[in-house]
Amino acid sequence: MRPRLLLSVVLSALLATTASLAQSSLEYAVKAAYLAKFAPFIEWPQSAFAGPAAPLTICILGPDPFGPEFDKAIAGQKDGDHPLVARRMTALDPAVTCQILFSKDEALAEQALAEMKTRPVVTVTDSGLRAHGMISFLVIDNHVRFDVDEAAAVSVNIDISSKLLGLAHAVHQKGAR
Amino acid sequence: MMRTRFSLPVLAALAAAGFLLAAGILMARYEDRLYTDQQVKNTNEQAHILAASVAGAVAFDDARAAQEYVDALTANPELLAAGVFDEQGRRIAGFSRAGPVPTRPGNSGYANGHIDVAVPVSQNGAALGTVFLRAAAEPAQRRIARYIGLVLLVTMGALVIAVLSFSQSALSRRAEQLSQVNRQLQAEMRERARTEEALRQAHKMEAVGQLSGGIAHDFNNLIMIAKGNLRLLRKRLDPPAEQPLHYISSVEEALDRAAHLTQRILAFSRRQPLTPEPIRLSGLVTDMDALVRHSVGENIGIETRLDAAWWTRCDVNQMENVILNLAINARDAMPEGGKLTIATRDISLHHAPGDVADFAPGDYVALSLRDTGAGMSEDVKSRAVDPFFTTKPLGKGTGLGLSMAFGFVRQSGGYLTIDSAPGQGTEITLYMPRTLPRTEEAV
Repeated sequence: MRPRLLLSVVLSALLATTASLAQSSLEYAVKAAYLAKFAPFIEWPQSAFAGPAAPLTICILGPDPFGPEFDKAIAGQKDGDHPLVARRMTALDPAVTCQILFSKDEALAEQALAEMKTRPVVTVTDSGLRAHGMISFLVIDNHVRFDVDEAAAVSVNIDISSKLLGLAHAVHQKGAR
Repeated sequence: MMRTRFSLPVLAALAAAGFLLAAGILMARYEDRLYTDQQVKNTNEQAHILAASVAGAVAFDDARAAQEYVDALTANPELLAAGVFDEQGRRIAGFSRAGPVPTRPGNSGYANGHIDVAVPVSQNGAALGTVFLRAAAEPAQRRIARYIGLVLLVTMGALVIAVLSFSQSALSRRAEQLSQVNRQLQAEMRERARTEEALRQAHKMEAVGQLSGGIAHDFNNLIMIAKGNLRLLRKRLDPPAEQPLHYISSVEEALDRAAHLTQRILAFSRRQPLTPEPIRLSGLVTDMDALVRHSVGENIGIETRLDAAWWTRCDVNQMENVILNLAINARDAMPEGGKLTIATRDISLHHAPGDVADFAPGDYVALSLRDTGAGMSEDVKSRAVDPFFTTKPLGKGTGLGLSMAFGFVRQSGGYLTIDSAPGQGTEITLYMPRTLPRTEEAV
């Protein structure tokens, strides 16, 4: 028990130090990793894709806080038969189909949420925003966590794995709406 | 004999025990293998369950959630260690029952009595990390208990076989001893019957000998008185008249024949006065050659094989008598002609030759006469030496020849045997005790 306790103390101390040293860069590195890993835990309706091997597009709307780190994280990754692709947009484009849409800009996020309300797109909002997508980041005790709005996902036939729900900080249950 | 009888069941017991042991070891190995396979399968399943469970925690770096899943596994006492690693190989969660928590996923396999299983963590085809489990192959006490059971089983089996085979060998040993004793007993009974028969024969001869000897002795004295008085009568006859002298001669001749008869009876009854002297029988037979040839006649061939060099001691006149008598017997057995073989040889006897009573082992000179005649039936043979027993027609034989020879040989310390069968001829052998020559004129 003692070594484990010691280990966790050292680890948390280490984490805390690094977090405070380079908070924003580390924070967005973690968020980038998370964003890249959501896809396997989410099931879209078939209509969400152009074909069985069509790419799964992760759109970044507005300012990009991740940089090339994110491209590195999704390089070569696949969700089933769908290769992961990143797409950066300054404004909503109806011609572009996204499966995951991230925004850290309050106004663009609000707009996107309204726009995507009936489409099978997983909206992800950054921490500190008033707008909350299906998944919304938040930072607790220097740890990046996320809330899940399961009800919103269910309404557009998106199924979020219980494994992901289990890790969420808070879950807006389906049927609560 | 004892060795093979003893070692065969022991060998069988050993072989059976060995077989049991081998079978037991094979069974134990097989069971081990089966158990290990099962354990590998179980561990694999657990690893897969853990991998599926911790996918989210690995993906989103949630050490606490991962550790909770790992801790749930510690309820399984056979699980020795576990580790959850992300794709970069960093450990997110882990535990170890003894020793350090694994710092990196090992390879799947079975070594050093524990089972290692590494299973990738993936979600919908996306590789996220690795789960590593280490399980005990089999609890030591369970294995020991199993082996003790096996050893007990084998020991009991071997013990049972050993006890069975030992009792079996003891039984057969006893049976063998019994049958051996039985054989010995039967041999002794046969020997005893033979000895009794010989003794009875000897007693009979003794009794007949005493009886006839006594009569012959008295009779001889009476003959001597008669002869003496005849001699006196012949002297007193004055003048000597031819006619009475002729009568006297006739009576004297008859008395001589009677005296001769009594002599033979006395010889048989071993009461005749003997004057034994050292003699070589080979020489005696050679000296008698002409006499014997004359006695047996033309149409019987005589062959002599005189190999004896030792000396014996007997009354030479009587021995001549015996040889002549036997030769005449042989002649009478071969009316159509044949061959008479007279042989002498030196022999050291350790066992009685034939059915003779009172045998003493030692050196003997054997003299045998073999004819190629009709031979004797068993019945005739058994009575051959009885006095007055004869197979010759009435008036042809006295029945005293063989019995006289028998009596003489016995009186001289020797033995007489008869070897004969119908159609096989007859061989009479005299065994005369060896003696040392008086002078150095030997060989």
